[in-house]
Amino acid sequence: MWSEKHRPQNISDMVGNEESRSAIIEWFTKWKKGTKPLLLIGPPGIGKTTIAYLTAKQFGYDLIGLNASDVRSKSRINEILSPVLGNITILGSPMIFVDEVDGIHGRGDYGGAEALIQILKEPTIPIVLAANSDTSDKMKSIKKVVKIISFKPIPPRLMRVYLENILKKETAKLSPGALIKVIDKSKGDIRSMINLAQSLVTGFNPQTEKSFERINIEDGINAFFKANSIDEARGVLYAMQIEPKQKIDAFYSSIITSNLDSNSLAKYLEIISRADVLYGKIMKTQNWRLLRYLNETLIELYQKDDRIRYTRYNLSWPLLNRIRWDGRKIKSLSSIMAKKLHLSTSSFSAICLPYVLFCIKNKKLELELEETFGDIIEKEIELVK
Amino acid sequence: MKFPGTCIICDEKIKVNEIGLWAKGLGVKHEKCSQIKELRCAICNGSAGCQSCEFRDICDIEKVSPLCICKKCSEEKNPYDSYQKSIKKKLPLLNVKP
Repeated sequence: MWSEKHRPQNISDMVGNEESRSAIIEWFTKWKKGTKPLLLIGPPGIGKTTIAYLTAKQFGYDLIGLNASDVRSKSRINEILSPVLGNITILGSPMIFVDEVDGIHGRGDYGGAEALIQILKEPTIPIVLAANSDTSDKMKSIKKVVKIISFKPIPPRLMRVYLENILKKETAKLSPGALIKVIDKSKGDIRSMINLAQSLVTGFNPQTEKSFERINIEDGINAFFKANSIDEARGVLYAMQIEPKQKIDAFYSSIITSNLDSNSLAKYLEIISRADVLYGKIMKTQNWRLLRYLNETLIELYQKDDRIRYTRYNLSWPLLNRIRWDGRKIKSLSSIMAKKLHLSTSSFSAICLPYVLFCIKNKKLELELEETFGDIIEKEIELVK
Repeated sequence: MKFPGTCIICDEKIKVNEIGLWAKGLGVKHEKCSQIKELRCAICNGSAGCQSCEFRDICDIEKVSPLCICKKCSEEKNPYDSYQKSIKKKLPLLNVKP
């Protein structure tokens, strides 16, 4: 991924928020025991996490990275941080970085926020927190015990200069119109800008107007299996901006209903199963950072395979048709027979219908019914053993 | 101001006797709010030329980081390197090697 490959190696390699970056360095240079922890606030993708990792590296700290899911309960916080905050540590010079700290509020917090605030009040090692927003009640109490440094979105023209520098290093090109649209779509989020630029340059089709639109599920799945290269398929996958579960389900229903040999089917289902396990893990731990690996798991499904077409339902068309049309006829037949036998429709179809069919099959019973029911009775009789 | 009003830019009250700019059908604004805000160029230190910028429609000047690059500097050779050099010069702390 370009966003990883071109991640800044020094704080000075970053762009935008110059004063904030300088303030962070000042905080680190003056840090001593008891110095208020830092809280970096700003929208996603503008370098809060990057700067935390870079300062740790530059100032020789061993960074211990946590996120909201690690600091939800008091016991979990103590389990992770007690050894670090004690006097003797085998970690060298530890520094704590808690990412997405605004994510601990609400129902998921089992005393984690209070425990964290206690630690923030008496810091013995540098602690840096990052949050996208500071408006929740829990953030109000955190804000009282920290020094806040705000990060703002990066001006679009500065983003353009940054992106052009990456494109130059990659010897890649984007048309001026595409460049502006990539910057517009990313709304000050550098990571998303780089990812979008990469998906356009390396994979998804020529840079047309449509490249910037979200692809719907049907077009996405069909284009994925028709793609001429894995990069093109990756581009399609990233452009399908739908719920992760919806994406997994769409691949599953399309594959399960396609006419595939058992080996291919087993291979595809194994990959989907891994994606589903990953999604289950994300839901269970609420560790949404793992989501970035979902597309990389699903990309393993790529194989130019004309046999796979998008299907919404998990059943094959012949079976779906039978359920839909034959089911309607059986219901209508049951309704007529139920009236004659003074039963409910469901009782007739569940209990009596198999016996009636059996009697008709053995020529013990003749029913005077409309001709339209002839086909369905014949079909059902064939199924009677 | 002869009468009190609400600034159409910052939505704050403008009191009687304060200086405000009024236009029929548009409303009133503070004197300071009427000045056009522009980002600064990180390289040449001049105005970034926000009024004629190709990103004018998508750039929220009030919300973005205050330093940008003007058109002229962005069209020079290696604008990214010039930006880095200039920022390091302006904010020497960014050069700190602990």
